[in-house]
Amino acid sequence: MASVHESLYFNPMMTNGVVHANVFGIKDWVTPYKISVLALLYDMTASKTTLPERRRLNKLILPLQQGPDLTLGQFLKTVEECCPQTAYAVKQRLQEMADGELKDMEYFFSTLPTPFTAFDSEAYKTSVVGLFMRHMLLAYNKLSFSQVYKLYKSLQLYYHSHYAKPADGRVSLPALVADDSDMDLTSTEDTVGDRIDREELDTPLHESELRNDNTPSSGPLSQKQAEYFLARQAYLLKNDENKALKPAALQEELNNMLKFNPDFAEAHYLNYLNSMRVQDIFLSAHCLLHYFDRLILSGNEGKSNGDEGYGRSLRYAALNLASLHCRFGHYQQADLALQEAIRIAQESNDHVCLQHCLSWLYTLEQMKGSDSTVLTEDSVKMAAHFCLPYLASLGIQSLVQQGATQGKTAHKLMDALKDTDILHWKHSLSELIEISLAQTTSIWRMYGKSTMALQQAQLLLNMSSLEQVNFGVQQNNTEAFAVALCHLAELHAEQGLYCAVSDILQHLKEQFPPHSQHAKLWMLCDLKIQFDRHMNEGKYHLAEPLVTAISALNKTEGLYRKAQVLKALNRSTEAYSVLQRLQVHCERTKCTEVVIRVMLSTAELHWESCGFSTALPLLLQALALARQHHLQSLASETILHLAFTQLMLGVPEHALSVLHEAIEPVLAHGSVMDKGRALLLTARCQMAVAGFRPNGQGQADFHLAGLAVDTLNEAAGYFSKLNCKERLRDVHYLQALLHRSLGQTSHCHKSAMLFRLLDQELQSPAPPVSMRL
Amino acid sequence: MKMAALCSEFGNLVQIKKQLISVISLSKERGLLHSSKWASELAFALDRLPKDELPPSHPFTEEDAQDLDALTLAKSYFDLKEYDRAAYFLKGCCSQKAYFLYMYSRYLSGEKKKDDETVDSLGPLEKGQVRNEALRELRVELSKKHNAGELDGFTLYLYGVVLRKLDLLKEAVEVFVEAIHTLPLHWGAWLELSNLVTNIEMLKSLSLPDCWIKDFFMAHMYTELQMIKEALQKYQNLIEAGFSKSTYIISQIAVAYHNIRDIDQALALFNELREQDPYRIDNMDTFSNLLYVKSMKPELSYLAHNLVEIDKYRVETCCVIGNYYSLRSQHEKAALYFQRALKLNPRCLGAWTLMGHEYMEMKNTSAAIQAYRHAIEVNKRDYRAWYGLGQTYEILKMPFYCLYYYRKAHQLRPNDSRMLVALGESYEKLTQQLEAKKCYWRAYSVGDVEKMALLKLAKLHEQLNESDDAAQCYMLYIQDIFSCGEQLEHAEVSTALRYLGQYYFKNKLYDEASLCAQRCCDYNDAREEGKALLRQISQVRDQIETPSADVFAPLSNNNTPARRVSPLNLISFTP
Repeated sequence: MASVHESLYFNPMMTNGVVHANVFGIKDWVTPYKISVLALLYDMTASKTTLPERRRLNKLILPLQQGPDLTLGQFLKTVEECCPQTAYAVKQRLQEMADGELKDMEYFFSTLPTPFTAFDSEAYKTSVVGLFMRHMLLAYNKLSFSQVYKLYKSLQLYYHSHYAKPADGRVSLPALVADDSDMDLTSTEDTVGDRIDREELDTPLHESELRNDNTPSSGPLSQKQAEYFLARQAYLLKNDENKALKPAALQEELNNMLKFNPDFAEAHYLNYLNSMRVQDIFLSAHCLLHYFDRLILSGNEGKSNGDEGYGRSLRYAALNLASLHCRFGHYQQADLALQEAIRIAQESNDHVCLQHCLSWLYTLEQMKGSDSTVLTEDSVKMAAHFCLPYLASLGIQSLVQQGATQGKTAHKLMDALKDTDILHWKHSLSELIEISLAQTTSIWRMYGKSTMALQQAQLLLNMSSLEQVNFGVQQNNTEAFAVALCHLAELHAEQGLYCAVSDILQHLKEQFPPHSQHAKLWMLCDLKIQFDRHMNEGKYHLAEPLVTAISALNKTEGLYRKAQVLKALNRSTEAYSVLQRLQVHCERTKCTEVVIRVMLSTAELHWESCGFSTALPLLLQALALARQHHLQSLASETILHLAFTQLMLGVPEHALSVLHEAIEPVLAHGSVMDKGRALLLTARCQMAVAGFRPNGQGQADFHLAGLAVDTLNEAAGYFSKLNCKERLRDVHYLQALLHRSLGQTSHCHKSAMLFRLLDQELQSPAPPVSMRL
Repeated sequence: MKMAALCSEFGNLVQIKKQLISVISLSKERGLLHSSKWASELAFALDRLPKDELPPSHPFTEEDAQDLDALTLAKSYFDLKEYDRAAYFLKGCCSQKAYFLYMYSRYLSGEKKKDDETVDSLGPLEKGQVRNEALRELRVELSKKHNAGELDGFTLYLYGVVLRKLDLLKEAVEVFVEAIHTLPLHWGAWLELSNLVTNIEMLKSLSLPDCWIKDFFMAHMYTELQMIKEALQKYQNLIEAGFSKSTYIISQIAVAYHNIRDIDQALALFNELREQDPYRIDNMDTFSNLLYVKSMKPELSYLAHNLVEIDKYRVETCCVIGNYYSLRSQHEKAALYFQRALKLNPRCLGAWTLMGHEYMEMKNTSAAIQAYRHAIEVNKRDYRAWYGLGQTYEILKMPFYCLYYYRKAHQLRPNDSRMLVALGESYEKLTQQLEAKKCYWRAYSVGDVEKMALLKLAKLHEQLNESDDAAQCYMLYIQDIFSCGEQLEHAEVSTALRYLGQYYFKNKLYDEASLCAQRCCDYNDAREEGKALLRQISQVRDQIETPSADVFAPLSNNNTPARRVSPLNLISFTP
């Protein structure tokens, strides 16, 4: 129903039923700020200044011309710092206009040097300054009478709002109040960024805060300001989310902006990014589609590229929709959208777009958990053919990742990575360099070379990005950084340096707030570290609730941890069934690492039922697998298990010789826990070889016994580092035995006392010393 | 019981007429033209009053006398749209009437300036931010008086309007309700209130005065909230109560019928309306939509010419002409006239959508998208624009992309089969047959307008080799087509019959099969196949004539699938 009131609905800005904001096709509009810049330019040509001042002013011109509008206060301050004399002249000129009449402004424009006549001045028509002046003059001359009047009024306001200092600038200006608030293009509320000083001016003007958060955001921004605002926020979202506006605040700004100009396509896109940040599927889909609807409109304007621009955005619209669904885990939807994008791209022979689609396709396949090696290889070949280095090396990295899990030999992987690295450095693809480093870290860790992993992680974290640093923010919230930091945390945890771990996790929490995309990485890492710690300390009841949290983030990992807890709590039957399920699952998904670990756990379960001989084939199988995949840490772990089994089967000599193979890598790369366990096992083998019996009978080899004492001492050191009391108790027990047989009574008493203390503290009945690794 | 109450309420039509006459003069004095127009129309529909029954003119107070000269002067300035001038001369007047006119002039002056300003803005981003500057001052002054309880019905209404323009909707609703209580006869206040009511719960929670005008409001509200059945009932009651001659009610009923797509009823009513009120332009765009849907070229052409003679610079006229050109497939001209309509009123929702349709016809998809987006901007709940966007992307062969838009449209009109069929088609293109089946079935269940859903569903089943389901759907389809009576252009009865014939033949139901085959022969495209099937049937029957037939007959009956379709009684559906 139409409004009841008579309203004048005539809008001459409409042609073809479309409201054109930009009637005259002018990008620049004369604003009071622009007039001030003009005044500055005019005074610079007119007056004589000293050379250094002149130089500083010249340096100022470009940022002033291209930057967003400043308030008069900011503007004068910047000029003053370069040349007080000119600033004064500019102020004088503005005052003449503001306190005078309309004709003063008209006079100012008529006295400006015309770029077409002044051949010898700096304002010659082809110079930067000349171009700016021409723009301004043109825009001014196009203004209608009422617009000129409006401009003059806003100039007055601009000037007076600076000089009428009291808290509310408008109180002292009753004459102007009537018409002010729709002029507030440049009023004080909008551009509060008053922190411009000289150092920052040498770098671009970016440091100035666009607006204060605490001022009510009422007025609109000018086109330039809006574009700048969007660019800045988008950049911050990409590179350092914490520095961007909070989601709610940003949303409010965007709503405000869109209310004033719904055609602003980029604002819709930022809206999309912002909704992604808070995982709002509805709003983000809505904004994305809206953005492309708008883009199709603006794409059609540039007729120079004919139909191309418009069809192009359609393809990318579909592709973006696919990525959106992918991000939210709607794989089927993503698949459909992707197929659509592929079809359109094929129809229009757009190979570049097709290539993008292909790389998304294999990503999607990977996410769905199916094998996509062939697809990826194709993608890499095609990308290389169409000279898209980014996509090519992204594909290679993906291949490397797949190859690593499927047991490709290490040197091939490293070669591939090295080759892509050369490509990256050649094309300065900093993002890929980071990914590559993070990937190397992961691969080294998987192979069990902790030192190498540590070195690569440090390399990534200490590398300064190749990307240009804008807005004082370096890109450091990519997935690569998160991965490297997580590895770092886990590596420190392995060495028992929990203080450092908590520092790293704290940093991760700040850098990747819980709602952000990569937060799950550190959450899982944090949980795993806590779990391991509790398990080492024997606090199983604390570890149990963590299992649920881990399963929520990673199902496989959760199942494995569940089995471990069950095993520790002596609920062997349940543990066994869980392990069986897990093994089937992992063999299907080719997750070799977990398969081996499951085998080891199953073997441990067999020990508990004294089925040492049944454990043997399992362990041999695990060893073969680990060696085939070059998983060194797992291989040594398996060897430890083997040795233990042999010890139990009564062949300690064999056990000792097998152990020699593993002890070196464990001591070099293993975690503190592994080192302790390996040494404890060695000591027990040595004792067995030396002829000790559990009941202390028989004749022992004193030399070997002495060695065993040393080994036990070392192991005790490692266990006490981790506060692993149960194993410490075992160590003290064995020490006491040894000392007694060696006749060192005082040492024997000491060890026995330590054992007694720990035993009382632990309260739980000691399991037979022999029964675990 | 409600009916009885209504009758007693309306029993005294004379009283109502008196009230109307008095409120007409009141709103006229205050320059509230639309309200007085509405009341006059309604008063005209009632019987004439004898001379001595006419209501006396309003009592003249001392204050009125004091302000008389200023008020007369200001009113004449006001009528000439010199609002500032009117306000200047009214300043300091103390009578209620003068105060209202004073405030109203200031408000209208602000509105006029706002519209002028849009032309003269200084930059692209300034465009949307032009405000009516008078609003804030008006609000401050009016709220002071409101707190002091000094506002009469008309001023309360103005206060409400000011609040609404400032986006203070909650307060606005309260003030409008208050205004209605103070002066129930002022239709403008009701209408403003109706714009603020968003759902039925909100409507129920309002406390409204018990006046005969409330029934008009409720009927209007039901139409707005798409509760057409209730609305029609209300209007019927009003007609029975004595407003049978009111053109307002007739037009409202016609619009309601239009909304539920009961085209014939609506057309009849509009024709009646034009007979009674031949120079009427309001609602004629709706009328032209109906004529367009029915492809009634001569009638539409007559209407267009007639309206041009009355007033060619009206939004409705432009829309009618646009529809006329569109029906003649002159889409460029049609788009031109919709553009003109939008120049006259940029917030005219229908014109944006219609223009989008025209651009679609011209295959100018980007312009169409733009037009639809504008329509959505004006009203987010415009399902036709969403649907149009979906169609645009469908034309661009992006079935997945258009799903989003169709879903949006479906959300707004959950019981409209067209969206469901469109959704189903998109799913079918994406080979999501399960979803497609759901959509088609739902489309049939909510009442399929185009009678296409069943056919598509049947074909889908056919593709998936679900012959029982397919046969069932074809059967329903045939029933549907014949029961609706009229001949549809795209009807594919022959396809259905052909399939059914084969189906029965395969299931050894030869009687039904031969019936279908015979029917097939009525259609040109299926005649040959029908004959062939008949021949096959007779062949098979000859074989069965062997003695062993008795042995197998019961067996074959048992073999038929459990979900077997019951034989079709085609005779009853013969056209």
